[in-house]
Order: sequence, then C-alpha cells, then structure tokens
Amino acid sequence: MIRSNLLAGGLAILSLSAFAVGAEETGLAVAANPLGKAEIDAAARTDALSIPTPGELLAALGKLGKLDWTSKFRAPIATSFPSRAQMALNLGGLIADGYIAVEAEDAQQVKNLGKDILALGKNLGVSKEILDRGKSLTEFADNKQWDVLKEELEATQNEVKEAMERNKDPDLVRLVTLGGWIRGTEVLSGWVSEHYTEAGAKLLRQPGIVGFLSSGVEALPEKIRSENCVKKTQAKLKEIEAAVSFPRETPPTQASIKQLHQLSADLMKDLARKDPK
Amino acid sequence: MKRFRTLLLSALFAFAPAFAAEKSDDEVNARKVALDLAGAFSNDGFKLRDGHWNGSLAPGKGAVIQVNLFAGNEYWFSLGATTKAKKVSVSIFDETGKPIEYEPYQEGASAAAGFAPDASGPYLIKVEELEGEPSVFCLLYSYK
Repeated sequence: MIRSNLLAGGLAILSLSAFAVGAEETGLAVAANPLGKAEIDAAARTDALSIPTPGELLAALGKLGKLDWTSKFRAPIATSFPSRAQMALNLGGLIADGYIAVEAEDAQQVKNLGKDILALGKNLGVSKEILDRGKSLTEFADNKQWDVLKEELEATQNEVKEAMERNKDPDLVRLVTLGGWIRGTEVLSGWVSEHYTEAGAKLLRQPGIVGFLSSGVEALPEKIRSENCVKKTQAKLKEIEAAVSFPRETPPTQASIKQLHQLSADLMKDLARKDPK
Repeated sequence: MKRFRTLLLSALFAFAPAFAAEKSDDEVNARKVALDLAGAFSNDGFKLRDGHWNGSLAPGKGAVIQVNLFAGNEYWFSLGATTKAKKVSVSIFDETGKPIEYEPYQEGASAAAGFAPDASGPYLIKVEELEGEPSVFCLLYSYK
C-alpha cells in the first residue's frame, strides 16, 4: 500500500493554495457496496485511460531489477508500407521502441527512432503535428533529459492519435495502440522468460487490455479488417489473449511465457515485412 | 524539470480557449481542477499520465471506467468537477466489482484515491457526486 505519509505530503503541498482549505484526511477507505453487473458491463473503456502507456509498464518492469535495455533493441524497420493499417501498426511499435531507447539512455537510438517515427508519421499524413515533437526528441536526447523524453514520447503518441482523429482516421488510432502493445508484450515476455520470477510473470496478466484491443479490431470497417496485416494480427491476438488471461494468483510458467514471447516477436517481425505472410 | 512541467501546464492553459471549440468550458474547468490536484502527487515522484476521461455527474448518478494496472506500481486517481458539484468521491474496485481499500482525499469538487495493486490486471474506478447539482467531471491518474 502507498505510504500513508504520501497523502499528507501531497496535501501539505496543496494546502499552499486556497484550493485545499478544509481538506479532510482519513485512513484507508473502502466503498460500502460492490459494483453490480450492470455497472461493470457499462464501465467506460477508452484508449486514453484504459490502456496503460508503455511508460507504466516499464516503470513496473524496472522494479524487478536492472534490465539491459539495449539488448531489447531491434533492427531498423521500413518507414513505408503498402497499407495505412500496416503503417499504423508499425508506428505504434516504433513509439514503443522509443521508450526502450530512453530506458537504455541511448541518445543516438532515440534520435534514430525519432526520425523513423517522423517518416512513418509523414506517410500517414500526420507529420505536421509531430514535426516539432521530433525536433524536441532530438534536443532532449542530446541533452540526456531522459525523464522529459518519456513525457515527450507519451505526448507524441497522443498527438499522433489526435491528428488521426482530426483527419477522420479513428480506426488507425486503435492500430497504433495495438502495435505499441504487441511490441511491449514482446519485450516484457522476453525479459521475464529470461529472468523468470512469479512477480515478473504476473505482470503479463492483461486480459482487460487485450479484450479492449480485440474488440477494437473487430469493430474496424470490413475494408481494413480484410487487409492481410490486420487479419494476421487478429488471429494472433486470440492466441495472445489466451496467454495473458490467467487467474490473478496463478502466474504462467516460464515455458508458456516463452511461447507468448515467440508469438508476439513473430507477429512484430511479420508486421515489419513489406508484405506480411 | 519542474520548470519544464510548469511551462507545459502554462502552455496547456494558455491554449485552453483554442481547445474550447472541441471541449466545453465545463470540461476545461473540470480538467484544471483535476490537474491542480494531480500536481501535488507529481511533487512526490508520480508521473501524470497524458490522458483523461470527461463525463457528467449528478447526485446518485455515478460513472465507472475500467483501467488496467500493473502490480508494483503505485497510482493516484484524481477527480475534478465543476463548481456545481459540492462533494465528489473516487473509489476503487477489482475486476469483479469487489471494493478495494484505497487512500482517500476529498475536498469539495475534487477527490483522489491512492492505491498500489498487488495483482496486475483490470480495475474499475467509480466517480460519484455526493452533494450538489449536475456537473461535469474529469478523471486522470498518476503513477510511479
């Protein structure tokens, strides 16, 4: 549980403003009644809040031990693909790569990825929005401002998605999120399978995320769903869903995490091909 | 770093009128309340997630959102509402709807809930207006 003095510390800061006058502080609280089925079923699920950012995942992963992030780099991928759907999936993967480069504190890798993100964004028609972000990524990387870079990456991802919404491409937003999540799953499962602990394995429990992403793919227009890269992703997503939907107290075995890693790594490799199999 | 954050927040509010075409004044105001509250946690190392959830509240009419959290991280969910709300609250439930203990904060049209999950997975966050007239709310969260 969060240290109780944290709240007091936060309130002390707040009390500097008139805003917090009269603040109440109590001990732990708990809702009086459970949620009913109707409330659970009607719960909102949004890209902006229901899907954790790569930064959240990496924060949790970083608590398990010191990671060799450079070992998680992958070879550069193309920045042009036959379809917009494939570009969107790969853009999500590249942004996730950006977080890995920041964790590795590798300025050159951050700058290389920044260029690739910009190039792919340009091909998707959102370069104007992220051009300035690309410049700031380079500047912060040169100055080794790693914490600021994490915020910039998150802002870049959100600006790309907002630009897609404005360009009436909301379907692509789901694919950017999906691409980023698959790449994150590849890295997480790879690390946990190499350094297996129950705590690490439990981080892979993400049924809510994959359920949200799967329903997003199912809701895509038929034209996009029938694209090779999307069909392939949808099929693999079902296998991945099974692998990350284990009970809260029963972590998956090392062997099943290796299998999950293979699934997600193969999918990312396939998506990065000009013509996915 | 703090200077950079301050600049970011200043820029956000400076451009608030530009957002108004898409976001209502109420949504912008509720977000400002939530950001003010979340700022306190940033000073303790919590990173503010760049995303939020807006909606409407009324006494007796709450709203629920699913979030997906990681064991090992700590979270603060910050709620801000427009001034028509006199008292609001945030509470946390597991994926089955079972209430979970959290550290509460409540002050008028703002409230927060702090929580460190012991299992990764989906959780449900409920926002409620306990007193006041129908209002607009904004929920966001911070983690470390």
